[in-house]
Amino acid sequence: MRNLLNFLIKYNYWFLFVLLEVASFVLLFKHNRYQQSVFFTSANVVSGAVYEVSGGITSYFHLKKANQELLDRNMLLEQQLDNLEKALRDHQVDSMAINSIKELPVTEYRLYKARVIKNSINLSDNFITLDKGSSSGIRPEMGVIDGNGVVGIVYETSPSYSVVLSLLNSKSNISCKIVGSQYFGYLKWEHGDSRYAYLKDLPRHAEFNLGDTVVTSGYSSMFPEGIIVGTVDDMTDSNDGLSYLLKVKLSNDFGRLSDVRVIERIGQGEQKVLESKIVR
Amino acid sequence: MILTYIHRIGWFISLILLQVLLLNNIHIAGYATPFLYIYFILKFGSDTSRNELMLWAFFMGLLIDIFSNTPGMNAAASVFLAFIRPSLLRLFTPRDILDGIEPSFKSMGVSSFLKYMVVSVFVQSAVLLTIEFFSFSNILLLLLRVFACTLLTVSCMIAVEGIRK
Repeated sequence: MRNLLNFLIKYNYWFLFVLLEVASFVLLFKHNRYQQSVFFTSANVVSGAVYEVSGGITSYFHLKKANQELLDRNMLLEQQLDNLEKALRDHQVDSMAINSIKELPVTEYRLYKARVIKNSINLSDNFITLDKGSSSGIRPEMGVIDGNGVVGIVYETSPSYSVVLSLLNSKSNISCKIVGSQYFGYLKWEHGDSRYAYLKDLPRHAEFNLGDTVVTSGYSSMFPEGIIVGTVDDMTDSNDGLSYLLKVKLSNDFGRLSDVRVIERIGQGEQKVLESKIVR
Repeated sequence: MILTYIHRIGWFISLILLQVLLLNNIHIAGYATPFLYIYFILKFGSDTSRNELMLWAFFMGLLIDIFSNTPGMNAAASVFLAFIRPSLLRLFTPRDILDGIEPSFKSMGVSSFLKYMVVSVFVQSAVLLTIEFFSFSNILLLLLRVFACTLLTVSCMIAVEGIRK
């Protein structure tokens, strides 16, 4: 301590020297425009480099927050995209409906637009749920189609929802024929692959080729004639040997249904009542 | 003692006035300006303490800066000169006559005093002009000016020394 004090006392002129020089340079930089600018420019180069390094480091600490913000933003954009796609789909459905209406006799059939909100393809009995129900005029036993062809038959309805018996259901049974001939059979799905169903009970004398188009026959009360179902993919004889068993490649991709239309046939009830009398 | 101080303050004021009113306006060929005011610092007795010398030098430089509108420049340079002056004096003075002399041709001998003056003036000019340029990008011009100023200043000092005798 004593030595330190001695040292400080001995070299005290250094302190005065530094003090006076600092005072001079403070004055210099404060009042001389040129020196000031040079000093601050070079100082800015140094401080800029320092800030660049420290900014590079601190930016890592903000990565989590930035990531959060990006996620939020992404979510927002996805929502917007959803809304836009929905709007786009509505417009597409409109144009599709117009095309279908042109194809169908207006007086005999009426169409309801609906959206698939639940769907399955890999169960043994598949059902589809639509977002429209009895309050929109949908009743059981109505046919359901979309732009690619037959989808199924309305099974149950509630005021705002309806359950559709999908074509991919063992209970489904749709009367079909091959384009160009009047011979008809009925279409059944035999589990397994959602892309194929079987056309049964087609008479052995019917003429057709592989690749021919299968359409609804119009004999059922649900579908008008000529709604596409699929194409003939393969043919075998049925077990009893009296008819053909045709493997039909379905035109509809049941894995990505979204917008469908429900067909109401005017006079369907009347036809049913009449038919049920005969059966009894 | 009081007489010494009056004498010193008289020199102080007159050198400052000489410097700011006359010598600062001299730029021979655009290079050489005499910085005669440091004559005041060089003529302090060799037994003067560094602190006292630096304070004198600081205020002298500061006054000149205030008059010539360059705050800090002359102050920094002359404080530096005052700081190293004892070392220079020790370097150029024969050891036996170091005690309490006032540096002059007579007390130190012509060659020693001349060397002492030249080195001191050179250091002061170098510091001052470096601060004024404040960059080494034009180092040739800087050196030229330092040498020119040193030459002119030393000449002026010899003249003053001759007149005083």
